[in-house]
Amino acid sequence: MSRATPKMRNFAERLIAYETKENNSSATKRPAAFLVCEKSRSHLATFMGINGFRALLARALVLANAEVAWLRAVHVKADGSLEGLDELAAQVDPKEIAEGSIVLVAQLLGLLVAFIGENLTVRLVREVWPKLSLSDL
Amino acid sequence: MKKQNDAARRKLPKQAVSRPGKVTIHKVPTGVPGLDDILGGGIPEFSLNIIAGTPGCGKTTLAHQIVFANATPKKPALYFTVLGEPAIKMLRYQQQYSFFDASKLGKAIRFINLADDVLEQDLNAVLEDIIKQVTAINPGIVVVDSFRTVVRKAMSSAGELEMQSFIQRLAQFLTSWEATTFLVGEYVSDEMRDNPLFTVADGLIWLSQVTERNSVVRKLQIIKLRGQASVPGLHTIRIGNSGLQAYSRTLGLIGSKTKPVRRRRLSIGIPELDQMLGGGILEGDSLLVAGPSGTGKSALATQFIAEGLRNGEPGIMAIFEERPEGYTHRAGTFGLNLKTPQQKGKLETLYLRPLDLSVDETMQAILDAIARIGAKRLVIDSLVGFEMALAPGFRADFRESLYRMIGALTGAGITILSTVEVEDTFTALSFSHYTISFLTDDIIRMRYVEIDGQLRKVIVVIKMRGGNHSKDIREYVITDKGVVVIGPRQTDYVALTTGLPQRVGQREEAAPEPKATR
Repeated sequence: MSRATPKMRNFAERLIAYETKENNSSATKRPAAFLVCEKSRSHLATFMGINGFRALLARALVLANAEVAWLRAVHVKADGSLEGLDELAAQVDPKEIAEGSIVLVAQLLGLLVAFIGENLTVRLVREVWPKLSLSDL
Repeated sequence: MKKQNDAARRKLPKQAVSRPGKVTIHKVPTGVPGLDDILGGGIPEFSLNIIAGTPGCGKTTLAHQIVFANATPKKPALYFTVLGEPAIKMLRYQQQYSFFDASKLGKAIRFINLADDVLEQDLNAVLEDIIKQVTAINPGIVVVDSFRTVVRKAMSSAGELEMQSFIQRLAQFLTSWEATTFLVGEYVSDEMRDNPLFTVADGLIWLSQVTERNSVVRKLQIIKLRGQASVPGLHTIRIGNSGLQAYSRTLGLIGSKTKPVRRRRLSIGIPELDQMLGGGILEGDSLLVAGPSGTGKSALATQFIAEGLRNGEPGIMAIFEERPEGYTHRAGTFGLNLKTPQQKGKLETLYLRPLDLSVDETMQAILDAIARIGAKRLVIDSLVGFEMALAPGFRADFRESLYRMIGALTGAGITILSTVEVEDTFTALSFSHYTISFLTDDIIRMRYVEIDGQLRKVIVVIKMRGGNHSKDIREYVITDKGVVVIGPRQTDYVALTTGLPQRVGQREEAAPEPKATR
């Protein structure tokens, strides 16, 4: 069962849109999904350890692979960061990159919701993005 | 010179020469109902405590309960997770309990994972990370769960001295930072002897699971607690939707009020029986009503409660054999309305047929109900049913716990009527299967006797601790008014107490209830 439900996708889109806007002026144009995962990593690793976060992201990536083929070239490194996304950004259609990014982030959020529920997931996300308006999932 | 000194001493303000006051150790509430009483008020502030026990005893739940009860944004709690239960699963399960307040996460309660430090670095790095986080957040409560995994990993590479030094520095640092600390770990009792951690700790809370035949009950013991008197012994704990609940062996009754000096005589609701009791049962007495099945013990108990309600005394009926509806219905047939006082909160009927409950838990349910409605009268119907309702392993504690509860409740002025079923032997007059008459101030015995081809019933007051009582054996019937004592003292028979009396009188008497004609 895909955890990237329309609700999670919508949530992921909002996070990605926020990160895209925040990083518009940045010199490096990394895919926003990368930035979302990276920000989550630094916060969630404190809470669940690097290994815990890496396991969760790896699972999200596997689930996302089933829906977005090009994500198979992306891997989770030992420190919980993603590799391969930068390279793909130059080769794959930006629309597909955007779609894949949404699915990956939605799967990650969906996993969190499955484990700790919506309420705590929103709280964790709010700690990472305190300025983002999140009334609900 | 001596005179000068004396004069100077006289001039000193009184406080300056008096002994300096001792430090006040504030107590941190645990948030676990019943546990603060066991601890002697709570956990001493700034102390270093170990929550130890085998898997599944409720260590992590206890730690969470303490954290959620105390953490505030101004004085947050730091929960370090190590190699035990992953934090994400911890939150997944702990949020099921009602004490879990999600709004506290983040600002008031912070979870920090130390697994990477423990796995990849040494004890110094672990300590440094703890110091860094504690210094930054300034918590009031610190939990390391599981500390055992920190120690186990460290012991594989570090020496015992290094380990001891780590524990010492950690304890010193956390105390200096005014944090009350809980180190959670899976330990077995043999480890207590040589482990430096147990020497350094101020408090040691030991959780265990006790198996007796098919029943399992969780137990808690305060093995060590510096600076205050905790209640010794094994206390029952139960994990429910609200988390842990502890049941003190003393049922929290230490220091409860004592009996009023002048005690009233309370009516039992049967005028003739009141007379036999010397004017009624003394307020704050424990009365045992013994008799075989069908002699009207429950009817008498109902009349006792109903009379109390008539006089404005709220009551509790703890019943173990009959269903509450049956009880209320039967009272109705005697013209006693129990429904209205139940609706008005003046009467509670506790139907206690628990499985695997310890005696302390059951008694706590009675005590809670008494406190809830301010009960003055309590019926326990029956002691045999009460004992049978307990898990087999806890029946051994039955008399001890009953003794404590009855002693404390009667001490607080609550009048108790307990029933006990005894078998009529027709050779002797026994009061109870148990040696429980020491629990009671007064004993009433009901029994069957065979007279003129009828199985009739007689009642006698065996004992009244607080005064004289009638020694008469009197016949009674159960009518639509309940237990009704009829007739004067029986003088036409001897050996009534055996159940097989012999007629010695000449008087022709009428049977209290009609005899069959054919």
